[in-house]
Amino acid sequence: MGCSSSLPDRSAGRLSGLNNAENSGVPDAKNLRVKLVLLGDSGVGKSCIVLRFVRGQFDPTSKVVTVGASFLSQTIALQDSTTVKFEIWDTAGQERYAALAPLYYRGAGVAVIVYDITSPESFTKAQYWVKELQKHGSPDIVMALVGNKADLHENREVPVQDGIDYAEKNGMFFIETSAKTADNINQLFEEIAKRLPRPSSS
Amino acid sequence: MENADVFLGLQDFLERMRQPSAADFVKSIKSFIVSFSNNAPDPERDSAAVQSFLANMEADFRAHPLWAGCSEEELDSAGEGLEKYVMTKLFTRVFASLPDDVKHDEQLSEKMALIQQFVRPENLDIKPNFQNETSWLLAQKELQKINMYKAPRDKLVCILNCCKVINNLLLNASIASNENPPGADEFLPVLIYVTIKANPPQLHSNLLYIQRYRRQSRLVAEAAYFFTNMLSAESFISSIDAKALSMEETEFEKNMEFARALLSGLSTDVDGLSSQIDQIAGHDPGESTESRHKTLKEDHLVQPKSLETKPSNKEDQLSITKIPSISELENRGAAMLLKEDQTSKVFRDYPYLFAHAGDLTISDVEDLLNNYKQLVFKYVSLLKGSGGGSATFPSSGSLAQAHHHVETVKESAENRVLEQNIGLPKDTDTVDDGPNRVSNQENIESDFSKDEVVPPSKDNHDDTSE
Ligand SMILES: Nc1nc2c(ncn2[C@@H]2O[C@H](COP(=O)(O)OP(=O)(O)O)[C@@H](O)[C@H]2O)c(=O)[nH]1
Ligand SMILES: [Mg+2]
Repeated sequence: MGCSSSLPDRSAGRLSGLNNAENSGVPDAKNLRVKLVLLGDSGVGKSCIVLRFVRGQFDPTSKVVTVGASFLSQTIALQDSTTVKFEIWDTAGQERYAALAPLYYRGAGVAVIVYDITSPESFTKAQYWVKELQKHGSPDIVMALVGNKADLHENREVPVQDGIDYAEKNGMFFIETSAKTADNINQLFEEIAKRLPRPSSS
Repeated sequence: MENADVFLGLQDFLERMRQPSAADFVKSIKSFIVSFSNNAPDPERDSAAVQSFLANMEADFRAHPLWAGCSEEELDSAGEGLEKYVMTKLFTRVFASLPDDVKHDEQLSEKMALIQQFVRPENLDIKPNFQNETSWLLAQKELQKINMYKAPRDKLVCILNCCKVINNLLLNASIASNENPPGADEFLPVLIYVTIKANPPQLHSNLLYIQRYRRQSRLVAEAAYFFTNMLSAESFISSIDAKALSMEETEFEKNMEFARALLSGLSTDVDGLSSQIDQIAGHDPGESTESRHKTLKEDHLVQPKSLETKPSNKEDQLSITKIPSISELENRGAAMLLKEDQTSKVFRDYPYLFAHAGDLTISDVEDLLNNYKQLVFKYVSLLKGSGGGSATFPSSGSLAQAHHHVETVKESAENRVLEQNIGLPKDTDTVDDGPNRVSNQENIESDFSKDEVVPPSKDNHDDTSE
């Protein structure tokens, strides 16, 4: 089933009027461009999160869907009038493809590691990715740990505190989201944007 | 700007190069190209040299009166033109120039030729509602065009077009089954499957070449993503083993052996068995029913012999003509089976072979039908692949000719432009000796179809953030 079937997405924090700044595609101190890689088990909701984020300002039939969800980009504006263009790289979550991940996170500025709060295995897998990135990722990569499907609280098997603790221990940003209700989806990306290293203006 | 018309871009670029004020540019381009002939190939150094040369030239273009008042697009197109010009000239020096790379290509191709004989979509986690082998042939075709081009950008576009075709097919399937748009979980497995089935020529060398010589600043965003998927497919295929396909070790080995036997049977001369051919005369190669996808399917079965070979290697081409007929193969196989005392083991994978009608239940029907379809498909493909019935597809045959003609015309027009305008010394001219000829004959569709499937471009997803 699709994940676009629920509430319209109008979470606070989304700013508009940001397309002009990024037309040239040339990043500068005010207009960042960042490669974001998505990691996590199959089925935790990676695609839904991205679609929710990218379609945010559109109705769900937006033409975004015409290119699939494996690569998408979206620009957001921050309060300080800078913009951040996220280039979002999805990765295949099936076990047999796990060894290919380095090809994808090489050169990424952000890694978003997603698990499903109803699945302890997916939380274990998320920890595996954190360790792998700490070992082999770029040292200044911004990492976010995301517990998705927060709407399924009655089936919750990973306590919020476990996510918080693990993220804190590993110096990561943590958030629980629901791609279904759109809860915290924009916040996730805005928080990441704020944490990006800024190029020293020159 | 993957969908800019690079042919026009090149013409425009050459046009400007003919201006008197461009004399210095022409001089530096020439001397850069000539400088390559003085050194043995060294990919690291060569790649760095090309990248910085292109970057510097582009910066110079920007500052030069020739481009005064020009838009970013025009400058970009000049950069594309330059890249295409320089790399076409350097192609034979830098493409697959190390023995190790050539060997790697051969090994990879051999592996794909074997695995394509038995890999199933399920082995790669392709979900049933996304399985659509016939349509994937279109994607395979795109990949197989990769050696028709010399410029890194054109080769890259073949890959991007392949990805685009896959994405579109997945998207249609997802809409049909009311699922989310396809993500990497859906895309990568199909790309790997399509790559194995396509067995594109010199895959490893092509990927290295794009990586090294496609201008770095243009291999970004969506193009970079899909190119990475291709690298990732190559890496996966290189290290495919039983586990990677969720097979038992013994099953995998058996499949590999069977594929080896099949391929060596297809490429070696017939021996004494040929006298028995007529026994199974009923299987006339010409009698197969025609359909578009069968013609297409044929190509990838023949292809391990034809497309993979280095363009210059004409002897390998010849061996295609010596393929034994399907009935010869059949007889030989039957003789081998009879000699084996473990025949029943061989047939263990075909559970219905010894079944009686009364044993079957209604639920077996679907399974049987699938088995039947696969068998027919394989058989007809083999017939075609072994050279039988080549005259039975007149329509697609003449189509191929027509397109081939178009291609040749276009290529040579482009080459003429390349030569006339900057007038490089003959010895650095590589345009005529490239892979184009061989693959032109192998590819049914013209390279104009590059424009039919609009490659992913920056503009596409920039729309998403308006
Ligand atoms: N209840 C609920 N279901 C979700 C949520 N996000 C995704 N799903 C469902 O989980 C399944 C897998 O989602 P998908 O985005 O394809 O996962 P991916 O494999 O990580 O990309 C789909 O059936 C989605 O509808 C969520 O936040 N809440
Ligand atoms: Mg997904």
